[in-house]
Amino acid sequence: MANYTFKGGIHIPNPYPVERPEIKQAPLPEQAVLLLQQRVGGEAKPCVEIGERVLTGQIIAQTTGSLPTNVHASISGVISAIEKRPIPHPSGIDAMCIVIDSDGKDEWANIKRCDKDFLNCSAEEVTQQIREAGIVGMGGAGFPTHAKITNAEGAHTLIVNATECEPGIMCDDSLMQEYPREIVRGIEVLMHACGAKKAIIAIEDDKPEALNSLLMYNFNDRISVEQIPTKYTSGAEKLLIKTLLGVEIPPGAYASEHGILCQNVGTVKAIYDAVIDSKPLISRVVTVTGSAVKSPRNYEARLGTSFATVVKYSEPNDQEHHIRMGGMMMGVDIPNPDYSICKITNCIFVNNKESKPVVKECIRCSSCATVCPANLLPQQLYWHAKSENIKKALDYHLMDCIECGCCNYVCPSNIPLAEYFTFAKALDRKLKFEEQKTDQSRERFEFREYRLERNKKERAEMMAAKKKALKEKMAKDKEKNQEQEDKIAQAMARVKKSKEDNA
Amino acid sequence: MIESVVIFSALTLILGLILGYAAIRFKVEGNPLVDQIDSILPQTQCGQCDYPGCRPYAEALAKGEAQINQCPPGGQEGADALAELLDVETLELNAEHGETKPDHVVYVDEKLCIGCTLCIQACPVDAFVGSSKVMTTVIAKECTGCDLCIPVCPVDCIYTNELKPTLGTYVPDLKELARG
Amino acid sequence: MHSTGLNTNQIMRQVIYALILGVGASYVFFGWGVLLQIVLGVLSALVVESVFVALRGRNVMDSITDGSAVLTAILLAISIPTIAPWWIVVVGVAFAIVFGKQLYGGLGNNPFNPAMLGYAFLLISYPLQMTTWPVDFLSFSQAVDEVFNLLNFDGISGATRLDDVKTSLSLGSDIATLQVRSISQAWINIGFLAGGVYLLARKIIFWHIPVAVLSGILVMALLISMFDSQQHLPVQNHLILGGTMLGAFFIATDPVSASTTPKGRLIYGFLIGVLIVIIRAYGGYPDGVAFAVLLMNMTVPLIDYYTQPKAFGRS
Repeated sequence: MANYTFKGGIHIPNPYPVERPEIKQAPLPEQAVLLLQQRVGGEAKPCVEIGERVLTGQIIAQTTGSLPTNVHASISGVISAIEKRPIPHPSGIDAMCIVIDSDGKDEWANIKRCDKDFLNCSAEEVTQQIREAGIVGMGGAGFPTHAKITNAEGAHTLIVNATECEPGIMCDDSLMQEYPREIVRGIEVLMHACGAKKAIIAIEDDKPEALNSLLMYNFNDRISVEQIPTKYTSGAEKLLIKTLLGVEIPPGAYASEHGILCQNVGTVKAIYDAVIDSKPLISRVVTVTGSAVKSPRNYEARLGTSFATVVKYSEPNDQEHHIRMGGMMMGVDIPNPDYSICKITNCIFVNNKESKPVVKECIRCSSCATVCPANLLPQQLYWHAKSENIKKALDYHLMDCIECGCCNYVCPSNIPLAEYFTFAKALDRKLKFEEQKTDQSRERFEFREYRLERNKKERAEMMAAKKKALKEKMAKDKEKNQEQEDKIAQAMARVKKSKEDNA
Repeated sequence: MIESVVIFSALTLILGLILGYAAIRFKVEGNPLVDQIDSILPQTQCGQCDYPGCRPYAEALAKGEAQINQCPPGGQEGADALAELLDVETLELNAEHGETKPDHVVYVDEKLCIGCTLCIQACPVDAFVGSSKVMTTVIAKECTGCDLCIPVCPVDCIYTNELKPTLGTYVPDLKELARG
Repeated sequence: MHSTGLNTNQIMRQVIYALILGVGASYVFFGWGVLLQIVLGVLSALVVESVFVALRGRNVMDSITDGSAVLTAILLAISIPTIAPWWIVVVGVAFAIVFGKQLYGGLGNNPFNPAMLGYAFLLISYPLQMTTWPVDFLSFSQAVDEVFNLLNFDGISGATRLDDVKTSLSLGSDIATLQVRSISQAWINIGFLAGGVYLLARKIIFWHIPVAVLSGILVMALLISMFDSQQHLPVQNHLILGGTMLGAFFIATDPVSASTTPKGRLIYGFLIGVLIVIIRAYGGYPDGVAFAVLLMNMTVPLIDYYTQPKAFGRS
């Protein structure tokens, strides 16, 4: 059992408990819409064209930069479009996607298999394989795994985050029950890649079957399985590290700087697929649950499958729905199920549409501060965010907020606090961007003024110099003329004299 | 009676000396007010305020020679921010100076450009690249949307492109949040 | 997703329910007066709040159904003498709602406790009416007569026990010779203590402020009894006389005007307790709860600023 705990956090009962979570294989989609916008790393550039036929597992896009992340085709078929499509982001902004029309054959590309056992490869080679498979953090963060491993080189502890603390999500739970061998193997691969000598798998104590499943298949005495008390936000990386090791990583610092690498258990399974089976990341397990679905279930679906397809298999009712990608606490509301599953889609909530509760004023009860796991003062952040006083909000450590939503959950006035903090952070980002732009405009304007002044001065100097040169020339010319005239006059005088002499 | 006069005079003297000392010891150098005003202005350098650039307008404001509502690119928020900084009543934007247009940049229609360089000379932030009888284009990143180039172009080949919020500059609506 | 705990309206209602025992005790000993004051106060509050919220252009029904105006009215009605003329409670509640709440922007925005603001205003403006308490149980008709000033009854009014003792002490009596027991006040305080414990059990208020207020009272009273005991009340009496329990559990715990950090609440409550005893012992008023609370309300932003909790990961 874990020895430490963190202040705050809340206990949320599982709203839609399932007897035994299992993974159903979703059928191949007819069309896959693959997102090019990566959560970290910018937009990937396609390396295929419209009309081209691609095979499953073929690289179809790469992010630019020194260590590109890959996007693979999740089905075989023909590229029918490379265009902007709506992405599950609260702004409703479209982003570039590649659309593949399936040919139904699921023909795999010829992927180069590594013929050596991973233990005989160097850590760099293993990390390279992870990078080529396009693996990112599957718990929802989406950070390129290879970059995280490289940063954590020489780590002493690997923590596998199998807490799945957000209530209702069960994809990691079922992964651990159905693929325990693969997960343990994946941990060994990861330990080899980052150099960690010790690994801890952290599971919340409401998942005893998953715990037993892993205990049964773990024969590696450097890997330990630890149970931690069930509490929401125990799965946040820094809070999990505090719970297991008692270390508080300061804000702005990374766990890698303290010799700790933390990875989600879904990412670990994907690493197993990539390094041992040479399969790139083309599918993931998604939980479909909510008050509007008859049977909450997990599906292993190909990336790019539309939400509507998997939701359909869960038998939703006929009422009006409210759809959310991600968990009920930290997810993103989306207006309709026409979006597609991407690498970080861990859950789709389909709830019956309910009227929103009335928002009242803040009565300063500080229930929010009592539950904040980052030990902040959400009421202060709320007042300053509401009056758009971002500087004051930053003084109260706005950037430490992990937007977990614990404060929303307990507020008696139903104030959407975490959304205010998202707003404040977005406003801060926008203001910094605008400040940078105006500073640049100011610089350019001032340089232009200077340039024009300088040109004017240079021209004036040039004119003055020309004038001076002209004057000198005129003076010289005048002299020469004078000389000429003098010579002529002298000659004339000589002629006259000689004439007079001759007469 | 005489004691209270003496006491209060002494207090006045002492407090006056303290204030005088503080005024000298903690004096702020330079005129930061102009810098503060300039940092609020949008740096579009368009001249719609009737001053040749944002800094001259800032200087005029600091001297009290201009009103706070002469800057359309700053919008009403800019005027309000100036009012707060200068501790005056906020005013509605003066429509005589132009209307606030949404954030935009300009671009050159290359089919029509004749390379006359009039736009290059007009741009207050040198956002054009080109030369005489050579194709001219706009560096969108540097363009402030001041529109000074549009009227000078003899073939009317400069158009505007509205800037949409990107994933990096999107800000949720505060009023929506307050409604819940 | 939201917790199934109480929302703001329900919290206000629970606080009102918790006052029942103390009000009941007041009725048992002093009759119908307190109930009459409460009814008048609540009516005044609803009318004044509706008018002001309408003037501010906000939703009137939302405002008057949240229970905060009613709570303010009840707290003020309990604090004033039960035979005070009807216009005392009406004016006091109106002042509290307008100057103590609406002018600052309504619920959640007021820096001062509205009920105590109203009480202080009444005490300073109408000292005679505010220090004349009943001595016996008043029947309904008697109470109506007194409150609406229909007949002038002498002999049924006087000062409170606390005031009495204080006056006697200042006239030179020895503390040991005075009968400082006051059954009625003790029972009223016990009633409010029970209500306060109910609120603690339901987690509507947190222990920090009540415990701190009572500790402050005890500590200061102890200090005074050690150095100046002949002139002042013994320690234990401070807890059962006056508005101690009402102040500790219902007035100082008003979340809007109190400190918001845990450490801050302890300091806030403790200093309120200290001030209550100082005002009772050395000040010109018989009970110091109202002024102590108002003084500490002023210091709340300062206390909050210096008692911020350490954020995660920051040393």
